[in-house]
Amino acid sequence: MFRAIVLKNLVRQRVRTSLTALGIAIGIATVLALGVITSGLKASLGEFVTAGGADFMVAQKGASDLSFSAVPEETVAALARRDDVARADGFELKITTLGSNPYFILYGFEADALGAQGLELREGELPAAADEIALGVDAAASNALAAGDTVVFEHRTFRVSGVYEVADTLRRSGGVALLATVQELGNRPGVVTAAYVTVAPGEDPVAVAEAIERDLPTLAAIADVDDYGEVDQGVRIMDAVNLAISLLAVGIGAIGVMNTMIMSVFERTREIGILRAVGWRGSRIVRMVLLESLALCGIAAVVGIALGLLATRAVLAIPTVSSFLVPSYAPEVFIRALAVGVVVALIGAAYPAVRAVRLSPMEALRHE
Amino acid sequence: MSEPVISVRGVRKSFEDGRIVALRGMDLEVAEGEFVALVGPSGCGKSTLLHLIAALDRPDEGAIRVAGRALEEANDLSAHRAHEVGLIFQLHNLMPALTASENVQVPMFELGLPGRERRERAHALLAAVGLEGRERNRPPQLSGGERQRVAVARALANEPPILLADEPTGSLDSEAGATVLDLIERLRRERGLTVVLVTHDTGVAARADRIVTMLDGHVVGSSPNDRSAAAPTTRLAASTRVTP
Ligand SMILES: Nc1ncnc2c1ncn2[C@@H]1O[C@H](COP(=O)(O)OP(=O)(O)O)[C@@H](O)[C@H]1O
Ligand SMILES: [Mg+2]
Repeated sequence: MFRAIVLKNLVRQRVRTSLTALGIAIGIATVLALGVITSGLKASLGEFVTAGGADFMVAQKGASDLSFSAVPEETVAALARRDDVARADGFELKITTLGSNPYFILYGFEADALGAQGLELREGELPAAADEIALGVDAAASNALAAGDTVVFEHRTFRVSGVYEVADTLRRSGGVALLATVQELGNRPGVVTAAYVTVAPGEDPVAVAEAIERDLPTLAAIADVDDYGEVDQGVRIMDAVNLAISLLAVGIGAIGVMNTMIMSVFERTREIGILRAVGWRGSRIVRMVLLESLALCGIAAVVGIALGLLATRAVLAIPTVSSFLVPSYAPEVFIRALAVGVVVALIGAAYPAVRAVRLSPMEALRHE
Repeated sequence: MSEPVISVRGVRKSFEDGRIVALRGMDLEVAEGEFVALVGPSGCGKSTLLHLIAALDRPDEGAIRVAGRALEEANDLSAHRAHEVGLIFQLHNLMPALTASENVQVPMFELGLPGRERRERAHALLAAVGLEGRERNRPPQLSGGERQRVAVARALANEPPILLADEPTGSLDSEAGATVLDLIERLRRERGLTVVLVTHDTGVAARADRIVTMLDGHVVGSSPNDRSAAAPTTRLAASTRVTP
């Protein structure tokens, strides 16, 4: 019956309850959608840093964006010569527009390295000439291109030499060409963006990465997403934005709940006086108010998660987005959304709850 | 001579930083099983007195003992409110969203009774106030007199020895008022309750064992009613205090 009282109190102000719940739901939806998208992005990046079975990637330390990273080809060659390194494949990245995708990523590899990238040809061949590119299956499909077709970008015409399948999202929606071709497109002769490193058999990748960073202080070794911030501020900014928006959602939600709970508690001052007059302890009143708030936010969390999933789907319907992002529905994302609901409920109800019992029952009873 | 069940001594209670003094030098003793009618002009402090006896607030000065316990020493006033006194207000003060049965069950939460037992007790209490079959009605579906009877049932939910009624018939027409008063009198007899009842109605006051008159926050007169020839009268002498 205690629960019934709590529910009846919420239902009494149907419109207010619904609007407050909707407000929190939107906040929770935002947190959820951001969570799904950022963890999807990080998953793509995680795939990217060890693509093709490499142990880690090396790039220029402190680059604000990976596309600004420049590693001299001699450095890559020096890496490859190390005893503790089996392979070091330098690659140049060029982000360009292909059809409707303004973030088409073109990878340039040396001809011998191209074969070692885990690309499984679906049709045609890997690029062998300066005017050839191979496309990932997603890039080919979304632009209706096949081997033998021609594409134009950066004012140059390329022949599609083949179409490949690969495990990572970025290269599935991107393309590959010879290193020299991409260096020329970017006007960056003699340097590469980064290199994929595979350590020699029996070597510990962590130890090798540390040794490389020690021997070549201008390089950063990146084995996972958390290291990625050393060569690209984007991830850090993304995390910061994610946190800021989540906090904002919590803050706005909490204020909304607090407002509703203050009104609802204030209106019921007299009723709360009666409950206390018949012997309800302050703690029971506090529990009642907190439970009301939790129920309100619980409803909001369910609605918010549904809205968040819809929003994520809407965002992913944009081809550009789906080209570099596979949504990640990790449990943490949902737990975070629910946690936002609970935190908002407790913060929002704390003050009204205390306020409800601070007044003596006698004062409360005189309240109109 | 047994100890009075309610004892109020030298109580002062003011509001708004002392600008309004509701009670000053308030003394009252009520014997066990006694029915006291409290009369006096509006604003003389009658409600304040009942509320202090019910431990809804603490006095500024003075001592209140109820059922052998000094309220100023009690640190858990909720238990006192839940178990020692039942309160009836001029307006029924029921929870509008709850049914009659739920309203009667509200005080029982502090007893920790299981739901089934709570419902059974509420059913029996509602039957005792003549509202059998109305358990599921909410206050807006009941007449004023019926609501006040639910309030009586709620006041008795935890079987307190003392019933405090603040103009319980003040908002009712005379017929409904008479029904509620008859009910209070009957329950008092059946359950041996001590009753303090505030009223403006001399007819109502005439039913009490004793009439205590208040003015400006204290007692100015206390007179036993002629009709009470039963046991309580012997205790009246001790509990009568007239403050000049
Ligand atoms: N909570 C309160 N705040 C301010 N004034 C109060 C409060 N309670 C009672 N009073 C004042 O105290 C006086 C006595 O009130 P009350 O006990 O309600 O009188 P009665 O019940 O005899 O009409 C009145 O002047 C009233 O306005
Ligand atoms: Mg009054």
